[in-house]
Amino acid sequence: MIHRFFFFIVGLACFIAATGRVDAHPHVWVTMTEELLYAPDGSVTGVRHAWTFDDMFSAFATQGMEQKTQGTFTREELEPLAKVNVESLREYAFFTYAKMNGKRQRDAFLEPVDYFLEYDPKETVLTLHFTLPFKTPVKAKTIELEIYDPEFFIDFGFAEKDPVRLVSAPAQCTASVQKPHDDNFSAALRLDKSFMTSEANAGMGSNFANRISVTCP
Amino acid sequence: MPVTRDAEARLIRHVALTAAVVTLVLAASAATSAFAQAGLFGGLRPPADTGVLGWIVAKQALFYRALSGLIRAAKTDGSAYWGLMGISFIYGIFHAAGPGHGKAVISSYLLANEETWRRGIALSFASALLQALTAVVIVTIAAILIGATAKVMGDTVRVIEIVSYALIVLLGVRLLWLKGRSFLYALHDVRAKAEPLEAAANTHAADAAHAHCEHHSHHDHAHHGHRHHAHARSHDHDEEESVLPWGHAHGPEPEELAGPGGWRRGLSAIVAVGLRPCSGAIIILVFALAQGLFWAGVASTFVMGIGTAITVAVIATLAVGAKSLAKRFARSRAGYGALMLRGVEVGAAAVVMAFGVLLLTGTVASERMGMF
Repeated sequence: MIHRFFFFIVGLACFIAATGRVDAHPHVWVTMTEELLYAPDGSVTGVRHAWTFDDMFSAFATQGMEQKTQGTFTREELEPLAKVNVESLREYAFFTYAKMNGKRQRDAFLEPVDYFLEYDPKETVLTLHFTLPFKTPVKAKTIELEIYDPEFFIDFGFAEKDPVRLVSAPAQCTASVQKPHDDNFSAALRLDKSFMTSEANAGMGSNFANRISVTCP
Repeated sequence: MPVTRDAEARLIRHVALTAAVVTLVLAASAATSAFAQAGLFGGLRPPADTGVLGWIVAKQALFYRALSGLIRAAKTDGSAYWGLMGISFIYGIFHAAGPGHGKAVISSYLLANEETWRRGIALSFASALLQALTAVVIVTIAAILIGATAKVMGDTVRVIEIVSYALIVLLGVRLLWLKGRSFLYALHDVRAKAEPLEAAANTHAADAAHAHCEHHSHHDHAHHGHRHHAHARSHDHDEEESVLPWGHAHGPEPEELAGPGGWRRGLSAIVAVGLRPCSGAIIILVFALAQGLFWAGVASTFVMGIGTAITVAVIATLAVGAKSLAKRFARSRAGYGALMLRGVEVGAAAVVMAFGVLLLTGTVASERMGMF
């Protein structure tokens, strides 16, 4: 009876594991390169994203698109798709969350500008370029940007090489990136934090998202 | 079956635990999904790659990414097909641990109904293979025959999704109606039995009549000296009704229920769950098509479906196991046991409906299709 009881409990645990949302599964992978844009007065004006999709999703996204040359797409051919992309991104807050001088920015961005899609025929991947202007450019001592999909249908990750660039930023500004898979934290600590992260301690221990930190003295 | 007090107590704990855990699971998944919407430094982060779940997520991602390379390789190297099928299968198994595969709905459906583990497995396989089939049909029609874009395919899936979720709600409402009624009958039964005079008079007259309980009061029962069993079947000749044994020893055995007509009974659940294709399958199919290897994609999708079915079947079997445990308890004490069993069924039916509503309203995001 006792062993049956244990079997039962283990089964239910599996059931919980299987139905919970924690095990959401991505179908889209994005490799990102990010740029922070600065005005001559040293205030940050916007974020320029370059998101490269994985080959499978790129094939899916370009399915049925007209192309003059087999195997490649021009920027013009991809224009309607780019429009759909950026327009639907608003619903997801562009997956971009900003914090300035330690203060969380709600609805921080204007409509995306300078957007286009680029197709790499060799790697058969699409890259979406778009710029998010800040509603109110500010001179911030610290800027934190997080890019992630809370529902985890898209797995965002920084590019291996030069994932972040500061464009015409004041000379003393420095940027660093933090990846969700960094091994800086012990597993136990991370697990703990996953339960602790709530509105109440917003920004505390958010070691799960891809984070860019910029400091200007 | 003689049951000692001790064993009884243990069984009570089992049943109570089942009910409690099922409720908790639902509440937790609903709550976390709601939090996930919050986002912005607050809500949930993408899961960390720690623990068993993290391991599953990581492996799944690894297998999925491997698929694209294997499909490419299969273009020039025939032996890559084996690798492709193998990875597709394993990916299916892991993948089904994620949302969107109707595990919760299927297991709740099984809990709410009187089903054998064999039927649970059959149900899992049928719905998983239907899912694979819908994916193949959508891509064949949309991408190959019409040459539709990703957006059109995404919109198609969205329509199918709404239909599928609405069907789940209907399934839940229907189950809730049926099970709710049986619960009330069982309650009636227990109350009738609770009257001591009647209880004494009833010992020999059990099973006698399939009386229309709602037309009689408790006193009528006492006068007749019968114990009336509220057989729902006598009121309604609906298919679903045949799944309602009373938890008494004379109730139909599960095996009997798996007989003719059984398939039609499960069909509603199969369609409701299996209609909505997996986004991953559609993406893989379109990718295979772009690589000029559509058939490899189709084979991969079905092999993946088999893998998915195995995971769902394991969970379904657990649900059936939990149910039969509860049933054994119910049989050992006809009155309250049956009531409790009916209670669990009502709860499971409510879970099916709740899932349908949450999916339909987008509170629980199952899959996301289209550009984003």
